[in-house]
Amino acid sequence: MAVFKPILTRYIHRKDSHTLSGYKNVGGYKALEKMFKTMAPDEVIEEVKASNLRGRGGAGFPTGVKWGFIPKDSQKPTYLICNADEGEPGTFKDRLLLSKAPHMMLEGMIISSFAIDCHLAFIYIRGEFYQEYKVLEKAVEEAYAANFLGKDILGSGFDLDVVIHRGAGAYICGEEMGLIESLEGKRGWPRIKPPFPAVEGYLMCPTIVNNVETLACLPHILNRGADWFKSIGSEKGSGPKLYCISGRVNNPGVYEEPLGILLTDLIFKRGRGLIDGRELKAVFPGGSSSAILRADEIDGLQMDFDSLSAAKTMLGSAGVIVMDETVDMVSVCLNIARFYEHESCGQCTPCREGTTWLVKILNRIYQGKGSLNDIDMIFEITDNIGGLIDPEASGGSFGKTICPFGEAVAWPIRSFVEKFEEEFIAYVEKGVDVS
Amino acid sequence: MPLIKIDDREIEVEKGITVLQAATAEGIEIPYYCYHPALSIVGSCRMCLVEIEGMPKLQVSCNTSIGELPPERKKDGKYDMIVRTQTEIVKRERENVLEFLLLNHPLDCPVCDQAGECFLQDYSYKYGRAHSRFLEEKRVRKNEYLGSNVIINHNRCIMCTRCVRFTREISGTNELFVQARGDNSKISIFEDKSLDNLLAGNVIDICPVGALLSTDYIHKNRFWNLEEKKSICTDCSVGCNILVYSQNNRIFRINARENHSVNGYFICDIGRYGFHRYEDAEKVTSPLIRSDGGFKPISWEGALKEIYEQFSRSKDGEKHQIVGIASPFHTNESLFMFGRLMDNIFKDKSIIGKLPFIEDYEIHFDSGFRISKDRSPNRQGLLDFCLNLEDEILQKVKTGKVRLCYALDDGVDRKLDEEWESFFKSQRFLVVQTYAMTPLAKLAHLILPGPSPMEREGTMTNDQGRIQWLKPSVSLTNKTRPDWEIIMEFMNTVGKRELKYSSVNEVNLEMGERFPSYRGMTFFKIGYQGLPKKNIATSRPSEGGQAGNTVT
Ligand SMILES: Cc1cc2nc3c(=O)[nH]c(=O)nc-3n(C[C@H](O)[C@H](O)[C@H](O)COP(=O)(O)O)c2cc1C
Ligand code: SF4
Ligand code: SF4
Ligand code: SF4
Ligand code: FES
Repeated sequence: MAVFKPILTRYIHRKDSHTLSGYKNVGGYKALEKMFKTMAPDEVIEEVKASNLRGRGGAGFPTGVKWGFIPKDSQKPTYLICNADEGEPGTFKDRLLLSKAPHMMLEGMIISSFAIDCHLAFIYIRGEFYQEYKVLEKAVEEAYAANFLGKDILGSGFDLDVVIHRGAGAYICGEEMGLIESLEGKRGWPRIKPPFPAVEGYLMCPTIVNNVETLACLPHILNRGADWFKSIGSEKGSGPKLYCISGRVNNPGVYEEPLGILLTDLIFKRGRGLIDGRELKAVFPGGSSSAILRADEIDGLQMDFDSLSAAKTMLGSAGVIVMDETVDMVSVCLNIARFYEHESCGQCTPCREGTTWLVKILNRIYQGKGSLNDIDMIFEITDNIGGLIDPEASGGSFGKTICPFGEAVAWPIRSFVEKFEEEFIAYVEKGVDVS
Repeated sequence: MPLIKIDDREIEVEKGITVLQAATAEGIEIPYYCYHPALSIVGSCRMCLVEIEGMPKLQVSCNTSIGELPPERKKDGKYDMIVRTQTEIVKRERENVLEFLLLNHPLDCPVCDQAGECFLQDYSYKYGRAHSRFLEEKRVRKNEYLGSNVIINHNRCIMCTRCVRFTREISGTNELFVQARGDNSKISIFEDKSLDNLLAGNVIDICPVGALLSTDYIHKNRFWNLEEKKSICTDCSVGCNILVYSQNNRIFRINARENHSVNGYFICDIGRYGFHRYEDAEKVTSPLIRSDGGFKPISWEGALKEIYEQFSRSKDGEKHQIVGIASPFHTNESLFMFGRLMDNIFKDKSIIGKLPFIEDYEIHFDSGFRISKDRSPNRQGLLDFCLNLEDEILQKVKTGKVRLCYALDDGVDRKLDEEWESFFKSQRFLVVQTYAMTPLAKLAHLILPGPSPMEREGTMTNDQGRIQWLKPSVSLTNKTRPDWEIIMEFMNTVGKRELKYSSVNEVNLEMGERFPSYRGMTFFKIGYQGLPKKNIATSRPSEGGQAGNTVT
C-alpha cells in the first residue's frame, strides 16, 4: 500500500488555510467548477454512491444512498443541513475542519445541494464553538462575495443560500431529528421515524442531514473520482477518516488515516503510546457511545464500520478514548452514565427513567454502598433501555427508544460492567453493604 | 384492502391505518399511553411495542402504518403484515416500560382520584411486575396549580405529553410545555399564562393517570361509587356528548363522551362545570301558589283546578288572549306538546312567543371545536314545533284584552329586564313551569315544578339539525313531573282531552307521526350518538288529518 497522504487535513497547518484565498491556492473550489461544467445532479449522486462514502457522523450510512431517498415527485423544497453539532465525548474532528478548512466543507455543501436540488442550506453548529462560528461566518461571507454562494453561482444558474445556526448546548441536538426540531425553533426532541428526514424533515420538507466531515470529502471525490476514493482504505470502508485520540496517550489529537487502519497503530504510532509507559487497559473506539474494548481485544482490529460492529462495538464518531491501567473503571462508568443522564431529552420512558436509575445505582456502588444484585440490575436496565449489543442474542429486541441515544447509553455502560465486572465486585465487597 | 394477521386473527383493514388502530378496532388490546386519536403521534411512552414479522426490532404500534405488499412479497402467501402482541418479548417489554414508569411513582392509589379508571393501575395489574426493584429514593415534587380548575401532581405524571399536545393542537392556547430535560423534565406552565382556556378541563380527561386533577372534583368521591350516565350537554346549541357521574342523585363530575358528528373527543368548561349552577339554585319541587305576597305549596290537583278556573271558564264579556311563552331550553317532546296546546286547544285565542334568545360569543378553535353563540340547547326544536312563533310578542299582544300566560321557564340562565318584567306583571294570571325560583318564577301566580336540565329526558335538536337524546342524569325529586306530562295535564284540563302518554317515548312517537322530519327518531333508532333530522320541509302539522281538528 502506498503511503497515505492526508487529504482533508493536508493544508491545515498553513496560517491561511481557513481563508478563501488559502483554500483556492491549494486547489479549492475546483470541484465546483468541474461539476457545473460537466455534471448533472443525478451524475453527482451516482458518483458519490460509487465512491462508497459512508456518513462520518456516527451511523455510517452510505451518503449517496441517503440522497437517493428524496422523493422524486416532491413538490416541496429540499433542504440540506450540515451537522456541526459535534457533541460526542472524545470527538473533536469536525471542530478542526470548521476552524481550519471551512471552505472545504462549504464546497461540499454546494456540491451536495446541487445534487439534491437544495437552494437553502443550514449549518447547525455547536453553541460552544464560538471561535469556529466566527471563522465560519467569515468563510460564508467570502464565499458569497466570490459568488460560490448566492444567485447564479459561477454562471451555472444554480442558486444557494447558506444560513448558520448556533445550537444551545444540547448533545441530543446532534441527533438529526432532534437537530431538525431545534432548527425549527422547538425543543430538541427527536421525532419518531418514519417519516425519515429525507421525506419529511425540516418544516416537513425533504431534508438531508450530513456531517461536516462527510461533506468535506465531496470536493475530493469530484476532483479525483469515485475510484480513487474507493481505493483508499478497504472494501469495508473507503476514504480518509479523521480519528480523534484522547485520554492517556502521549500525543492526543486529530489524525487523518484511511478507514481500516489498525487501532493499535492509532494508539501506539500516532498517539505515541501511553503516558509514563503505562499499560493499556481499555479503549472507546468510537466516542463514549461505543462499547469499550479491553486491551486484549484490540490486536489486529481495523478501524472501519464493519470490523468494529463485528467486534460488537462501533466506529461511531471515531473518538478513540484511551484508558490506562490506573483508570478506575467504576468511576469512568459513573462519569459516562452521568453524561447520558444529563443529556437524555427525556421523551422516551426507558431512556428518561433508565439513565437516572443507572446513575443512582452506579453512584451507590462507587460510594461503597452497592450490592451484587446492583450489578445484575445494571445489565437488566441497560438491556431494557437499549437492548443487547448483539441483535440475535437479544431476540431482535432492541430499538426500544425513539432515537439511538438509548443504545448509546446502554452499550458502553453494559460493556464496562461486562468487561470489568471484577472491579465492580471489588467496590461492592470493600464497601459497606447497606442491604 | 390490506389483509393482516394480529395474533390468530385475520383482519382486513383500511390502508394507512396504524397497527394500534387496527388492533383496537378489533378489540385486541395493545396498551398505550402517549397515543391519543385526536393528537399527533410522538411514540415516546414505548408501551405499545409489538413484534412485526420481518422487522428486526420491536415496533411501536402507534406509529406503524399498514400498507399493501406486492403479491410475491406477501407474508405466508397472503398477509400484508403479521403482528404479534402476546409474545414473550412483547410481554417482557411491557413489564420493563411499566417498571420504568413506576420508579418514581408514589403508588398512592388509595388517595388518588384516578384510581379505578387509571391506565397505570390497570396496565400494571395486567402487564406489570408484582414488585419493585428500585431501591433508590423517589423523586418528589410538590403539586402545583396549572389553572384555576387544574392541579398537577408531578409525582404521578408519566410524561406522555398528551396535555401539552392538547394545548398546542386542540385548544391552540399553548399554555403548557415540558420544562427541563431527561429525568428533570416536568410539565409546566409558561409564567405569564394559566391553564384557563375554555377547553382546559379536557386535559384532566385525557391524562391517562392521576396527574392532572380537577379542583372541582379532587378528593370528593371514588370512581367506583359513581354511576355513569350517557347524555348531552345543554349549555349551548352544539350539544356535546357527555358522561355524567353521580352518586345518590348528586352529580360529581362531567366528562366528554366521543361523538365524531358533534364534539369529537372533547367538551368545553362551560358544559363541564355548568351543572353546579343548578345545585346553587333555589329548587322548586312542589306546585306553588301565590299567597300573601309569597308562595305556598299546593297539590297537583289544586294546581290543575286553578288552571281550569283561570283558563277554561269564560268570564262574562271578557276577551281573553292566551299568551304561551315557549323555551329553547326544553326538549322537542315538551315543545311539541306545548305547540299542540297553543295551536290546537287555544287556537286563535292564543299567541305563542319566547323571550330573547340567550346569546354570547361564538367561539371557534382551529382544531374545529366550537362553542355556539346560542347558549340554549334547542332553538331548532323551538322553531320546528312552535310554528306560529311570534318574534315580537311584546308588541303583538293585544291591548285591551285580558291576558293569561303559560310560560315554560328558560331556567337559571334567564334574566328579565324591566320591559319583560312589566309584561309578565301585566298578565292577569301567570303560570310558570320551572325547576327553580328564577326571576320569572317569582312573578308567577302559579308555579308548576318541572325537571332541571340534568333531570330532563327527551330529544334536542342542535344547531346542525342533529337530533340527540338527552338522558336524565339524576332522577326527579318530590312532586316534580316531566315537562311533557305537565303540559299533557294542562291540555287534558283546559281542553277536556284524555291524553294518557305514559312515557316520553310515546310522546316522541306521536311527535314523529305529526312532524315527518322527526319521524322514527326514537331512542331505539338514534341511540347515544344521535341522527340528523330528516330533510323534509316542516309544514303545519295536521291534527288527526285536518288542521285544527280536535286532538284525540
Ligand atoms: C445522540 C446522538 C447524537 C448525535 N450527534 C451527532 C453530532 O454531533 N454530529 C453528527 O454529525 N452526527 C451526530 N449524530 C448522528 C446524526 O443523527 C446523523 O446520523 C448524522 O448527522 C448524519 O450524517 P452522516 O450521514 O453524514 O453521518 C448523533 C446521533 C445521535 C443518536
Ligand atoms: S432515546 Fe432518549 S434522547 Fe432519544 S428521543 Fe428517547 S428520550 Fe430522547
Ligand atoms: S400530566 Fe398527565 S397528560 Fe400530562 S404528561 Fe403527565 S401523565 Fe401525560
Ligand atoms: S360547546 Fe356547548 S354543548 Fe359543548 S360542552 Fe360547551 S356548552 Fe356544552
Ligand atoms: S402509544 Fe405508542 S409509544 Fe406511546
